[in-house]
Amino acid sequence: MVWSWIPQNWTSIWQYTLDNLLLGLLPPIIGLIVSVPVGIACVLWGWLYPPVLSLSSAIYALPSLALFVVLIDYTGLGNLTVIIPLTLFSLCILIPAVVDGLRSVPESVRQAATAMGFTPVRRLVQVELPLAVPVIIAGLRIAVVSSISLASVGQLIGVPSLGYFLIDGFQRDFPTEIYLGIALIIALALICDVILVSVRRLLTPWLRGRQVSAGPIRVLPITAGRM
Amino acid sequence: MITFESVTKRYADGTVAVDSLDLEIPDGQIMVLVGPSGCGKTTSLRMINRLVEPTSGRILVDGQNVLEANASQLRRGIGYVIQQTGLFPHRTIEDNIATVPLLNGVSKRQARERARELMQLVGLDADTMARRYPFQLSGGQQQRVGVARALAADPPVLLMDEPFSAVDPIVRAALQDELIRLQAELRKTVVLVTHDVEEAIKVGDLVAVFRPGGHLAQVATPERLLGAPADDYVRDFVGFDRGIRRLSFFPAAGLALETQTVLPGTTTAGAAIEVARREGEPWVLVISAGREPLGWVAVADLEGRPDSSALSEARLTSVEHTFRPDTDSLRAALDATILSRTERAVAVDERGQVTGTTSYEKLRDAIRGAEDAADRGEPPALARHPAEQVL
Repeated sequence: MVWSWIPQNWTSIWQYTLDNLLLGLLPPIIGLIVSVPVGIACVLWGWLYPPVLSLSSAIYALPSLALFVVLIDYTGLGNLTVIIPLTLFSLCILIPAVVDGLRSVPESVRQAATAMGFTPVRRLVQVELPLAVPVIIAGLRIAVVSSISLASVGQLIGVPSLGYFLIDGFQRDFPTEIYLGIALIIALALICDVILVSVRRLLTPWLRGRQVSAGPIRVLPITAGRM
Repeated sequence: MITFESVTKRYADGTVAVDSLDLEIPDGQIMVLVGPSGCGKTTSLRMINRLVEPTSGRILVDGQNVLEANASQLRRGIGYVIQQTGLFPHRTIEDNIATVPLLNGVSKRQARERARELMQLVGLDADTMARRYPFQLSGGQQQRVGVARALAADPPVLLMDEPFSAVDPIVRAALQDELIRLQAELRKTVVLVTHDVEEAIKVGDLVAVFRPGGHLAQVATPERLLGAPADDYVRDFVGFDRGIRRLSFFPAAGLALETQTVLPGTTTAGAAIEVARREGEPWVLVISAGREPLGWVAVADLEGRPDSSALSEARLTSVEHTFRPDTDSLRAALDATILSRTERAVAVDERGQVTGTTSYEKLRDAIRGAEDAADRGEPPALARHPAEQVL
């Protein structure tokens, strides 16, 4: 380790960290916005879910680098080329999370809500979605962490991220840079995860003091075909 | 008034859950739908608030066909309580109870105020519990919240689907008593589904017994169900010792009481023997100056004593249980008689002062008389008494 290297390159470290953060956060945010309505549709029309699930699993199995390369022809070497595949990966995690979250609402609660005169939309907004929050956030945590680490792969096609330090350090045979890159990626992921856990706590005061189960979330093979 | 007019529910797979049901549920009464699993009782209940829609026939609530009403509006006017409580885990107790008023557009402050009132009504301490979440309450408390939530918008109709099945027997008995007490106050039209015939007999003003296949076997008051089951199915369903259980519905007020042999402790043995012989009673009851029962004295025992000795000096046999003719049933009187070593029971008033004694012979006559009157169609006059178990 050459510790002195770090303060000397402070500006570029900070810049790449911000780039990585943005690149890692946008996909799960877009993914969440898309997967809530899609997930609701899948719960409403049960036949929709199996094909959606198969498609998203197939996409998830693709190596990110392969997707980047394919997309370069259409979207060039810009951020979009990285954001689109990462958003697709996020959807693969978030759609099942939304569906599982909504399905985790006890039938008795759903029935009681209907019997008390909730209209279907009101029931969804005031009862089912709030109760699905723990499972959805559990999915979001996986999506954010994997998206932050995958964003670094974008560096291979020249999109700036903390991946820069991994590639540069390797090419110059300078381990300090590699260690720093890895440490920052892990730190970013952990900080985002802690923030999400706090958000979940804030949104679900009724779970305080109780053992929290994430619900029946599907754990996809996260390492499948990466890089 | 809720009316079922030849209501049938047939599912897509051909199963008939309810077959051509005709039933009238009068206002202000508790109608219990009882029967084994798969007899269509729950389906019938759920058709009232349109959680299930009938295949054919009509259901009228106060003359309005439920199928012609706006489903959400209709449901806000019908309270609904289920076995699993169905409380919203993410809402506090007060907000759970405030649900329907909030849906109706009542302000949050008013709705919460109403919620706290209802918590008191169902026996929950609003100050300590209003801000808790459902999981922090016991099963019995959750069920009380469920009842409070169903009552929040003061609906005229209350539907209860196996409301007390998930709690232990002691809590269940307490909740049943609570329902009877609440109903005496609120006079809702209650439809309660249960598989437990004891519960039906205890809480129902009327009981509708269903048989498998969605048919109605009998609709009757609990007393009639016990006294005159329509057929073998109902007789088997009602179960063992229905003769004894039926006595719960006959007031003890009609019981003839022996008053001559109730004597103060200062009475002499000679005088007591004379009274007992005249009345043909082998026992006399000794009472205090305040007319409280002190104990029984056997006439045979008195005969061995000097005529001038006081009754209070004789050997006393304990009175055990007493009963109150003004509020208790013949069953309570019979029970007190069985428990007594003298085959006699002591009747007291609300102050615990003796009003007379009874015996097997008097009970036999009263039971026969009450049964005959009931069989002639004269309704028993006993007001339901929550403290008394009808088991």
